[in-house]
Parts: sequence; structure tokens; C-alpha cells
Amino acid sequence: MSTHHFWKLIGGLAICFALPWTFLIMGPYFSEASTKPVPYSEKDEVEGLAAYPERSTLRYGSSDYGAKIYAAEGCAYCHTQMVRPTYAGPDMWRDGWGGRDAEGLSRETRPEDYFGESFAYLGYQRLGQDLSNVGHRITTREAMHRHLYDPKSFDGDSGMPKYLHLYEKDKVTGEYVPTAKAEALVDYLMSRKKDAKIPEADKRNG
Amino acid sequence: MTVQATDEDIRERASIDRSMRFPVLFFFTSAAAWLFVATILGFFSALKLRVPGLWEECQFLGYGRVFPMHMIALVYGWALQAGIGVMLWLMARLTRRELKYGMGVVVIGHVWNALVAVAVICIWSGFGRSIPLLDFPGWMAPLFAMVYMAMVVWVIPMFKTRREASIYISEYYLVGAALWFPWVFITAGILISKEAAPTMAAGAGSWFVSNLIYFWMAPIALAVAYYIVPKIADRPIYSYGWAKMGFWILALFAGWTGFQRYYGGPYPAWIPAVSGAAVVFVLLAVVATISNLAMTLRGKTKLWEISPSLRFTAMGMFFFAVYACLSAVSIIPMVQPALQFSFFLSGLDVLAIYGFFSMTVFGAMYFIVPRITGCEWPSAASIRNHFWYSTYGIITLIVCLLIAGLAQGGNLSRPNIPFSTSFMNSTCWVVGACIAWLLIAVSNLWFFYQLALMFVGKGRKSEGPTLIHGGHDNAEGAAGTA
Repeated sequence: MSTHHFWKLIGGLAICFALPWTFLIMGPYFSEASTKPVPYSEKDEVEGLAAYPERSTLRYGSSDYGAKIYAAEGCAYCHTQMVRPTYAGPDMWRDGWGGRDAEGLSRETRPEDYFGESFAYLGYQRLGQDLSNVGHRITTREAMHRHLYDPKSFDGDSGMPKYLHLYEKDKVTGEYVPTAKAEALVDYLMSRKKDAKIPEADKRNG
Repeated sequence: MTVQATDEDIRERASIDRSMRFPVLFFFTSAAAWLFVATILGFFSALKLRVPGLWEECQFLGYGRVFPMHMIALVYGWALQAGIGVMLWLMARLTRRELKYGMGVVVIGHVWNALVAVAVICIWSGFGRSIPLLDFPGWMAPLFAMVYMAMVVWVIPMFKTRREASIYISEYYLVGAALWFPWVFITAGILISKEAAPTMAAGAGSWFVSNLIYFWMAPIALAVAYYIVPKIADRPIYSYGWAKMGFWILALFAGWTGFQRYYGGPYPAWIPAVSGAAVVFVLLAVVATISNLAMTLRGKTKLWEISPSLRFTAMGMFFFAVYACLSAVSIIPMVQPALQFSFFLSGLDVLAIYGFFSMTVFGAMYFIVPRITGCEWPSAASIRNHFWYSTYGIITLIVCLLIAGLAQGGNLSRPNIPFSTSFMNSTCWVVGACIAWLLIAVSNLWFFYQLALMFVGKGRKSEGPTLIHGGHDNAEGAAGTA
């Protein structure tokens, strides 16, 4: 075969692939990477927050290390962190999945909600509850720890195993004492609050 | 294809086969060993799903670690190595070029195996990343990419200096697979490691999985099918036009798939929609290809009884059609919300990797290994066992996971049903998956044993090939020398 045909085939294959690579992957990637927070105005009636998304509400304590524990234990294989809008699934009808229902702040997740995280653990299967807003559902650290070392004490049908290796048993009292890993994981889980109010000024809100 | 081979042709093929012997056998045997490891891990991960409390004190046996280890061993240990072996041999045969630096490829193959082992151990000891099929620590991704390219790059000069005037359709697929995969892999690796856009990084991960199937596994399996089917049927493919059309449709649309897994996710709405549409267009390519292959075989279905290569390849193609149809069904807006995060989709992944890709590659292996070792498969009974245990295993696995997915999704989409009910109602089907993985493990133990015998030269010394039923001197014997 002549070199001419060789390059024609390679070129054809490259063009076929370059189209989705450019428009499906790289374009949206850079557009998301350049997202800037939108400040709240007075009309939004949001107290204590300056802008959406606000970095300080999404990460605190050792939650970055907790994200690594979350990944290493493979939590994302059973838990999703993605609430779908009503046209794509009934997620919003599950209690507390979409956020603080009582305050009217329940909504689907948006790209901005993952701002500042190193990776959005959207999930693989839903064998366990969605965790997008678990920080609003389980409000104390004690309860969160108990969910990790004895999940069946909340729901006997739960399919979650005990994560005992994140805890040390105290020889005197017999109680479970969290390790640094467990504390970090709880920090991460407590920071899962993806229901911040969307500012009126956010163009994408329309 | 039907032209009678001259003595010179046969000598030339023999010398090409000799040059391929060590690299290809090395890839095949180490891949088969990894496959056995992967099926055992698959069994354990299914068992852990059914009985979550089992060994829960031991952090190394959690589902969240065993399942990714299973997937990494299955894809990087088995699928990629077996695929590369097939790719090198097919390309050499079709272009009539010998593989230069064969021993160099073997050395690089050892590095690859070491990398897969390190990746599995990293996940095991708690350095996983929870990114499906990219679980290994970030620093390993460039190493994987470099070693992969060092193994596959030989295909390009072979193709460029080819001695046949016309390009056969299998070569399109092989060049495509060689070229696309590193591009997909490197893109996904870089975007994830940059940590600049979290949701698009997750999307790139999902896009990688989809493209691994459509842009790497599918091209290699189809290259095999377009080689094996006309060869065994002893007639040219039915329509060369269809074949090319199928190729270009796949090439145009497969790259757009991937985001359908995150329908309704944190993306601009057009992205998952475009991916969903692309899945349907890919179905067109599958229909064109499968019907073309079926027409090539028309009137010669009796060969199924005889040729192991054809039987495995045909079963693989059947699973490919099922996979493409179910993928298209799973994105219909009516059922997608229920199936999206269920066992249904993980069942589809297994169907693609084991049902479709692996069965086709087994077919290729049954064809290639006797030619490069110069001896025949030791036992027809073992081939039959391998085939039926694998087929029943994979069908059991898929049916159980699909039904589990329907049960799970049905419960999930009714918010008045407590969440844990969906888990309880679906994992009873996982018992079937446990049994299926055991069947598959047994079948692969047989295969690995046979392959090891061939590797050490203990195969059957005979004039005719080992056939599934009957004597050693019919159809494939004629096609076999070609």
C-alpha cells in the first residue's frame, strides 16, 4: 500500500475520534474548570454565605483526606452522589435525598455542587443510599460513626458491612474508638450538603 | 481468501508464526492465568454482596476492594493482554510481515504483568480510587499507557510496510483499536489527575469504560470474527461494502458514548442525551456487521459442530448483538430511571467483557495456538467443557444480574418502598451470579491447563486439528492450513 493511503486511513480514524474528543470531553471539561462562583444578592435571602458555590461549605476539617478513605474503601461502588431531576428519576421523592425538604431547598445536583472536590464520586450502583445530602440527614458525628461501625443498628435490612477496621476497640470500656481515618471519613460525609440555594443571578438557573 | 495456498505461501506463514511464537504465547498464557484470578475474585465479590457480613473484620475482603480488584484483573490482566496477543498475530498474518524484536515484546509483557499485579495489590491494601476500571493509583496511569504503547506500536510499521495490495477489513479494526485506545486512556488519565473539573473527570471515567468496550474490545473481536468466519466457512465475506459501512459507523459514533450512564447527572443536559443517541447509532453498525457475518456462514451452520474457533467466535458475536440491543434498550427514557444504577448495567459490563469479547478471543486462541506451537489441542472433550461451562456460566450470570437489576430498579423507582427493600429483593439473584462465576472459573481452569500443555509443547502431535465432534480430517482441516 502506498504511504498516501496509509495516512488517509490514519487521518480518517483520527478525525472520527477527534470530534467527540473535542466537543464531548475537552470543551465541557474546560468550561467546567473555568466556572466562577456567583455572588448572592439581597433578593436571594441567603444568610451567612457570600456566593454559590462556596468552597467553605463543601470542604472542612479533614474532609479531603476523608475523600481518599471513601475512595479507597470503594464506597462509590455502592453509594451514588448524584440526585437526578424529576424527568430522569424519582430521587427527589426519597426523604432527604434532594436536601432540606422542610426549608424548600430540595433540588437535583448541579456541577457547581462538586466545586473544589478532587473527583465527583457520582457512583456505579445504588446498593446503598444516595449520599449527596447525607450531611443534612445524619446530623451528629456520633450517629455517623455508628453508621460506619454498626449500620444494622439503624436498619436491620441494610446491606452495608461493618467498617470495624476504621475503629479500635478500647480494652477497658469495650467501646469503639475512631481512628484518624474514621474521623476523616466522617468529616467528609458530614460535608455532603449539595442543596445550597441557587442565586437568582445565576444565568444557568433559567 | 479462497485462493489455493502455494508451498511458498505455507513456508512464509510458518516463518511468520515462528516469529510470533513466544510473544503471543506469553500474552495468552499470562492472560489466561489472570482470567482465572479474576473469576475467583468475581466469585468472592458476588459472595460478599449476598452475605455482606462475611469476614467484615478483615479490611482486605470488603466488597469495595474485592470488586475493583476483580475488574482490574479481568480487564488489564486478561482482556488487554489476550487482545494484544491476538492483535499482533492477526496483523502479522494479514500484512505478511514478521514480528521484529519478538523477545523485546516479551520483556515489555513482563513489565505489563508486574504493573497489573501492583495495581491489584494497591487496591487491595487501600490505595484504590473508586473510579471504575481506573482504580489504580494515579501515578500508575502513565506507566500503563507507556507500556501499552510499547507493546502495540509494532502493529503500525507492520501495517505501513504491508505486502498485500488490498486492505482487509480486519486491518481497519486493528489499526483503529491500536490508535484509539491510548488516546482514550491518556485523555481520561490526565483529566482525572488534573482535578480541575470534578464532574467532567467522573464523566471522562465513564467515557473511558464505554470506549474501552466500543473502541478497543469491539474492534479486536470484530477483526477476529472477520478473519475466522470466512476462513472456516471457506468463502469470502458476504458483502465488503457492509463490512466497511459497519466499521465507519462504529468509528463515527462510538466515541460519543459513555455519558448515558449519568443521565440526569450534573452535566449540561445535551451531553447524556448525545451519548444515548450514539448508543442507538452504534446498534446500526452492529446490525450491519452481524448480519454480514451470518450471511457469510449461511448454509454452512454444520461447521458449528466441528470447529471450536467458529463456535466460540459465533457465540461471542451473538453476545455482541445481545449487548448492543440491551444497551440501546437500557437508555429508553421509560426504563432508564429504574435501570440506571442497578445490577442491569453492571451485568451489561460483564456481558461485554466476558460474554462478547472473551468468547470471541477464545475462538481466536483456539485457531492461533496450534499454528504457533505446531501441535494440536490435547483434548476435544476439554474444549467442549470449556465452551459449555463458559456459555452456561455467562448466560446464568447475565440473566441473574439483569433480573436483579429489574427487581432493584423497580423498587428504587417507588419512593414509598423503604430503600433497603431494593437491596434485599435484588441480592437474592446474586446467588446465581456466585454459581455462575464458579462455573466460569472451572471452565477457565480447563482452558488454562490445556494452554499450559500447549505452552510446554505437550500438545497432540497430529496431522489434523482437534475438532469438537468427529474425525480429524474434515472442514477445518482444509481451511486449517490456510
